[in-house]
Amino acid sequence: MKRIYSIGGGKGGSGKSFIAASLGILLAKQGKKVVLVDLDLGASNLHTLLGQRIPQRGLDAFIDKTTNSLEDVALSTTIPNLYLISSTKCSLEIANLFYAQKLKVINAIQNLPFAYVLLDLGPGINFNTLDFFLIATEGLFVATPEPTAIENTFVFIKSIYLRKLKLALKEANMWHICQEEVAQLSKGALKSPLDLINILVGRNLENGTVFKDLLSGLKFSLILNKFRGQVTEDLGEQLVEVCNRHLYPSFDFLGNISYDSRVYESILARNIFIRKYPYTKTVSDLQNMARRLTGEKQQPIQIKALK
Amino acid sequence: MIKKFNDLNYYELFKIQYNASSFEVRQAYKNILAIYEESSLATYALFAEDERKAILGKIEKAFSTLIDDEKRNAYDKSLVDIGEIPKNLLTAKERQKAIPLIQVNTAMTKDNNLARIRKKIKEQGTGKLASVMLNRDFISGQDLKNLRESLGIELEEVFEATKISPTALEAIERDDLTNLPPKIYLKSFLKSYAEVLQLDAKQLVEGYVKNMEKS
Repeated sequence: MKRIYSIGGGKGGSGKSFIAASLGILLAKQGKKVVLVDLDLGASNLHTLLGQRIPQRGLDAFIDKTTNSLEDVALSTTIPNLYLISSTKCSLEIANLFYAQKLKVINAIQNLPFAYVLLDLGPGINFNTLDFFLIATEGLFVATPEPTAIENTFVFIKSIYLRKLKLALKEANMWHICQEEVAQLSKGALKSPLDLINILVGRNLENGTVFKDLLSGLKFSLILNKFRGQVTEDLGEQLVEVCNRHLYPSFDFLGNISYDSRVYESILARNIFIRKYPYTKTVSDLQNMARRLTGEKQQPIQIKALK
Repeated sequence: MIKKFNDLNYYELFKIQYNASSFEVRQAYKNILAIYEESSLATYALFAEDERKAILGKIEKAFSTLIDDEKRNAYDKSLVDIGEIPKNLLTAKERQKAIPLIQVNTAMTKDNNLARIRKKIKEQGTGKLASVMLNRDFISGQDLKNLRESLGIELEEVFEATKISPTALEAIERDDLTNLPPKIYLKSFLKSYAEVLQLDAKQLVEGYVKNMEKS
């Protein structure tokens, strides 16, 4: 079965693209056919992390109808089995994608003939980002163990919930019912998507539980990037515990990825970190993560973290 | 489907079983506090100040109830009355409590017990068996059980030394995923277990968790 992973999380600079590129490479190395889709529209740079120059073709050709097939613009990379759909060539106004165009792209992504589709998303919580995130069979949140990043991650998670709920309500033609109640709620500001669920359940709408189940059906995992010794190792598990307690399941913790200053150096030099430093704790963390995604056994050798 | 946070009873809040020992209550309290206290990174910016206050208030109340035998019994009865827990669970709890009665004067027996375990370990020598187990990448509950049994240590002795309830210990040794405590508690249980058997706690926890995730 095809698996689509979206890689997001409100904060910029948390390493979403690095993780997308690294997981893409590692999955491809396992022999899976993988495509990376750069959906950080207007600020795409996945190709740089893959050690490549600006791709000649990409999403733009699909959007301006030069080609009818998104698969056409999936360019091969220096890594066998790994393909990249770049959005570098898109116009500078691409970040404000039209609704119809967005639907077309979403539909095409869902039909891509690859075993693994990784979507690299931009920071922030604009509708495009949220809608692209929701394409996935599993959403991966990337955060760093810092208050700022964790704050943004919670906002991102709540926004995703709200977006999903709103879309479903609109589809079921029930949005207007909620709108009235939301308007009365603390000056019309929805602080938590759970307020919305409580309204639905509170009104004894049969569908209330349906929407609860809808949210429970979403599958999310958390990744803590740039992990250093300063904070407790349990932080990831604590975060997932909190999410599962307060935000409806199911959240999973995929693991910590150790900080390594050479990641920055290799990006500067436009090298592929995994290739250049394969025997680092960071790469072994990433490898374990890739193996978890494909369900393969974890790596037997553990390398001690560099303190 | 999870219940809303406010509707959780104290046991659900602490994620412990109805017959959890006082040690488990203490552990759970420590862990839950680490998540919800003001300085916690895990809930940073998730709650408004009054929300956090309410949550912490509930946690304090839960702890002071569960740690006090008299209060806890009354609370259990009230849960039975509203049908939250079936009656027979209360009797099950009595059974669980019967075991702690073994150690009447706690301080003495605990030391004796530990000394006894230490002596057994010294006589049998954990060295080789333990290092073989710890060097494996995946450590199962069965491995742990085998080691314990080869040292001639009873499960009850581990219970006395660690105060982890026999049900939890058995679940750990049986790799009984459905009955294992939540992962954050599990880790501290494994650490205590490792200390009793004089094993490297970090290696044991890593191996066990890996083995758990594999299955």
